[in-house]
Amino acid sequence: MLLKIAWRNIWRSKTRSIIVILSIAFGIWSVAFLLSFSNGMVNSYIERSINNELAHIQIHHPKFMDEPELGYHLGDVQDLMDQISKDSTIKSYARRTLVYGMISTAKGAQGIKISGISPEMESQVTSINNAMATGEYLSESGKNPVIIGQKLAKKLGAKERSKVVLTFQDIDGNITAGAFRVKGIFETYNALFDEGNVFVRRKDLNALLNDPVISHEIALKIHDLHQLDHVKSAMKNAAPNLSVQKYSEISPEVELYESQISIASIIIIGIVMLALIFGIINTMLMAVLERYKELGILMAIGMNKVKVFFMIVIETILLALIGAPIGIFIGWLSVRGFSETGINLSSFSEGLRAYGISELIYPELSTMLVGYLAIGIGITAILASVYPAMKAIRLDPVSAIRKL
Amino acid sequence: MSVIEAINIHKVYNPDSDVPVHALRGIDLKIDEGEFTAIVGPSGSGKTTLLNIIGGLDRPSEGKIIIDNQDISTFKDNELIDFRQKNIGFVFQSYNLIPVLTARENIEFVMLLQKRTEQEREARVMELVTAVGLEDKIHKRPNQLSGGQQQRVAVARALASKPKFILADEPTANLDSASTTQLLDIMHQLNREEKITFIFSTHDQRVIDRAERVITIDDGKVVNDEIQN
Ligand SMILES: Nc1ncnc2c1ncn2[C@@H]1O[C@H](COP(=O)(O)OP(=O)(O)OP(=O)(O)O)[C@@H](O)[C@H]1O
Ligand SMILES: [Mg+2]
Repeated sequence: MLLKIAWRNIWRSKTRSIIVILSIAFGIWSVAFLLSFSNGMVNSYIERSINNELAHIQIHHPKFMDEPELGYHLGDVQDLMDQISKDSTIKSYARRTLVYGMISTAKGAQGIKISGISPEMESQVTSINNAMATGEYLSESGKNPVIIGQKLAKKLGAKERSKVVLTFQDIDGNITAGAFRVKGIFETYNALFDEGNVFVRRKDLNALLNDPVISHEIALKIHDLHQLDHVKSAMKNAAPNLSVQKYSEISPEVELYESQISIASIIIIGIVMLALIFGIINTMLMAVLERYKELGILMAIGMNKVKVFFMIVIETILLALIGAPIGIFIGWLSVRGFSETGINLSSFSEGLRAYGISELIYPELSTMLVGYLAIGIGITAILASVYPAMKAIRLDPVSAIRKL
Repeated sequence: MSVIEAINIHKVYNPDSDVPVHALRGIDLKIDEGEFTAIVGPSGSGKTTLLNIIGGLDRPSEGKIIIDNQDISTFKDNELIDFRQKNIGFVFQSYNLIPVLTARENIEFVMLLQKRTEQEREARVMELVTAVGLEDKIHKRPNQLSGGQQQRVAVARALASKPKFILADEPTANLDSASTTQLLDIMHQLNREEKITFIFSTHDQRVIDRAERVITIDDGKVVNDEIQN
């Protein structure tokens, strides 16, 4: 019954109710869009990281992630490799030999991470091969080819076909150096990555290391992200002595980004809520004052204060219940509109590249965000209704009824 | 047996201000079950104030209102609301129906607050709309009814939960004479058939003529109290 009265009361001053509903809808829409956008930004970052480097799952010697030393290699993983190649949930995989060392040219030297890869396999997992700015990606032809990042190339004054020297320790602890020829220069969306990474063929690197078998990392990409945990535990079973990690476990900044986005979402929702609260209080106060006499009658004939209070609260919540889905729907529509084309940020792309963010952002409205919004708007409506409802129950029925 | 007993009721409005209004100055009254009583007096004599205090809408500054052996002037706000809901039906001068509810819903309202069953409500509503002659108007909202019709709905609403008595403050003041006669007929009939006690204030001589007892107040005091034929 309270619900019925509340519902009808809302439609008594249609214009006013519609304005409130629209402002709730607009508030929700703006939050939904803004947060979908930053969500898209984070996702773009994560996706880039997965595609350039992380893949979905990585397998290492348990100590390698803390101390990436040559000695913490995977050992003999032939059985594991066989199993991986047969597993149909796994889309592609790459085996890498990783060494930290130095690259030098006549112009200078720089500490770097050297990844020894199998060009063909690697191109199935990461997309460095698609990020070549000049020259070519690694292939089986040529002697000791290397590809380096744009930023590093500039720093070292290296060009395509330049000769560079890679220096590092071999398996026996001896310093060893190899001459490599720059086959190509890549440029990803992450400048830091471009500065600190070079790629060579794994067999070339292993030869210099004096061990044809060792490797430090197996990176897997799977078909369906929902299977991530499942594949992870399958790998763990197959290689109980090795460490198996998901991308989010490997790259702490990915997790950090994700949690920061949650915090930012809550803050933004909070600000919009605050603005809405004042608007709603104002409107509901008007609605209460207008109906002073009627509320007096209700109390005179025996509607107690608790019920009067809840009637006002319910009215407010109903407004939110109408406004919120509209806002979420429009938010969803506009996000969907951009999710095909993306939002072009190319005018800022220099700045963004430093953070590893691409210039096309595909906004994404997550269920988590919709959940936050729903909770936020619920709290808003309840908070905003309390003051007008208090006002309503404090009225004195006698003087309310005397008013004509 | 008296349903209502007012003992030495005083009411002062704005007691702490420069111009306190002494609206009631020592009213003593006993009203018995089944009475059909008019409270009359010039404008400003205190009729509305007295009815409000008897009905537990307002509190006396001094004195007691005893209803069913309870002194309601000691009740807390929410107890009073509850008490009104269970024992008293109100009819106001300006109808005062709830505009968003239909006639039927207005009549049902108090029964809903009392959580009566669907069948009970249905039966009572039909009984009452028949009594007030509005069978064909039950789905109309107040603004689709004439003043007389609205006031008949208000009487039906006041009666719905079978209260001990009905307080009506100038129920006919806004009605034309045909509607006034009709409303009085209905009130009188319900008074006889349902044994409901009616107390109403009025200025209207035709209404006064229909009352069985007439209490006259002036300047906050009872100046005359007589039973008519
Ligand atoms: N809320 C109030 N504050 C101050 N004075 C009041 C208030 N209500 C009523 N009064 C005064 O109390 C006195 C009695 O008023 P009341 O309304 O009870 O008279 P009444 O007999 O019902 O008059 P009427 O026939 O005009 O309805 C009047 O002098 C009125 O001005
Ligand atoms: Mg009056």
